[in-house]
Amino acid sequence: MSDATDHIAPEDESRVLAAEYVLGVLGAEERRAVEARMAEQASFAREVEAWEERLGGMASYVTPATPPAHTWFRIQASLGAQPLTTAVPAPSIWQSLSFWRAFSLGSSVLAAACVAALVFVGTRPPPTLQPQTRDPLLATLTGTQTKMPNFVATIGADGHSLTIVPAALLTADKRSMELWLIPQGGKPASLGLIAPGAPVRINIPAELLKQVGSGATLAVSLEPLGGSPTGQPTGEVIAHGNLARL
Amino acid sequence: MDADAARSQLAAALVRTGTGDRAALRIVYQDSSAKLFGVLLRILKDRSEAEDVLQDVYVTVWRKAALFNPEKASPITWLVAIARNRAIDRLRASTHARRSAPLEEAAEVRDTTPGALDMVVKAEQQARLGECLGELEEKTSQAIRSAFLDGVTYEQLAERMGVPLGTMKSWIRRGLLKLRTCLER
Repeated sequence: MSDATDHIAPEDESRVLAAEYVLGVLGAEERRAVEARMAEQASFAREVEAWEERLGGMASYVTPATPPAHTWFRIQASLGAQPLTTAVPAPSIWQSLSFWRAFSLGSSVLAAACVAALVFVGTRPPPTLQPQTRDPLLATLTGTQTKMPNFVATIGADGHSLTIVPAALLTADKRSMELWLIPQGGKPASLGLIAPGAPVRINIPAELLKQVGSGATLAVSLEPLGGSPTGQPTGEVIAHGNLARL
Repeated sequence: MDADAARSQLAAALVRTGTGDRAALRIVYQDSSAKLFGVLLRILKDRSEAEDVLQDVYVTVWRKAALFNPEKASPITWLVAIARNRAIDRLRASTHARRSAPLEEAAEVRDTTPGALDMVVKAEQQARLGECLGELEEKTSQAIRSAFLDGVTYEQLAERMGVPLGTMKSWIRRGLLKLRTCLER
């Protein structure tokens, strides 16, 4: 039997190629070639889009499956890029006047605490007896909605003691704030609950020490009283930031 | 909520996501993640890989939402296209030959009780696609659906259905052109 290409009219060639790309039957190199052509030739890109519309309805044959709760958390935490235009935050605690009053007060507390934390790190005597001394790590956790710094976390030169300084906020919220460590490409691991308005010293569990480093993310979520019942974040992420070497 | 309202809500949320509105992205996620996760699981056949790609998909949606044009594309189709492209690229990148499930096992699970999510796809458009697929020869229609749902290559499809590669290409290419003609009628 002769190959199908023998029977396809020249004007149909690019239509078929666009359809094959959308259907997903092409190999990796052919797919890159199609994408390059889409970038160069607007009419071809439109043909691909038209096939996406034509064939997309087949997705209705797939049974939906609910993804695990932590997926949304990971997505939120990895939206590092700033939006192109200023977001209009959804009505939330962040917009209440009392919150902003508390926040402006909290910010100065935060700024002072920030300096204190840095001084604390900076003036530590050189730990000569610690062979595993590393540069301290610092993370500024900015509000998911506000883009304002809400927490500062430092991990000391010993590599396992984390100090987090929250601003005085959310005191009216009954929920617990839970701190999470998210290694690059990994699942969140709980570092415990943090108190609103009070610096907290946390010893990072030994099994997580390897995950602590530049590029790991710290995030704070609101959880039911006493913390997440599942061991994975279940509530809204209110702040997050990446760890970086000082 | 009826299908039109569900589709409009998703389209509006995507447009707002394009302006950098994280609350809108959350709506997009709530309305579409189960469908996209289903699509990814079906292609990747591995839960943790599907979770990884799902995360990647919504980060991509966040970055690309400004390119979504509600006048040209239906929102769920646009999202499904991003998810399928990611999953297919992931499949092709894995050097190991993926396990090629026998066709019986891979036969699509028809969702007999479409939930609200399925209503997001235009009902009439979907019905028309079903009709046009039905006009093709059974094995061609089966090959096209299997390719779309499982993200497999011509080679894998030929192997699964026990026909030479050239025959499989011929079925699918001619089938796609017929499908196009039928859908334009």
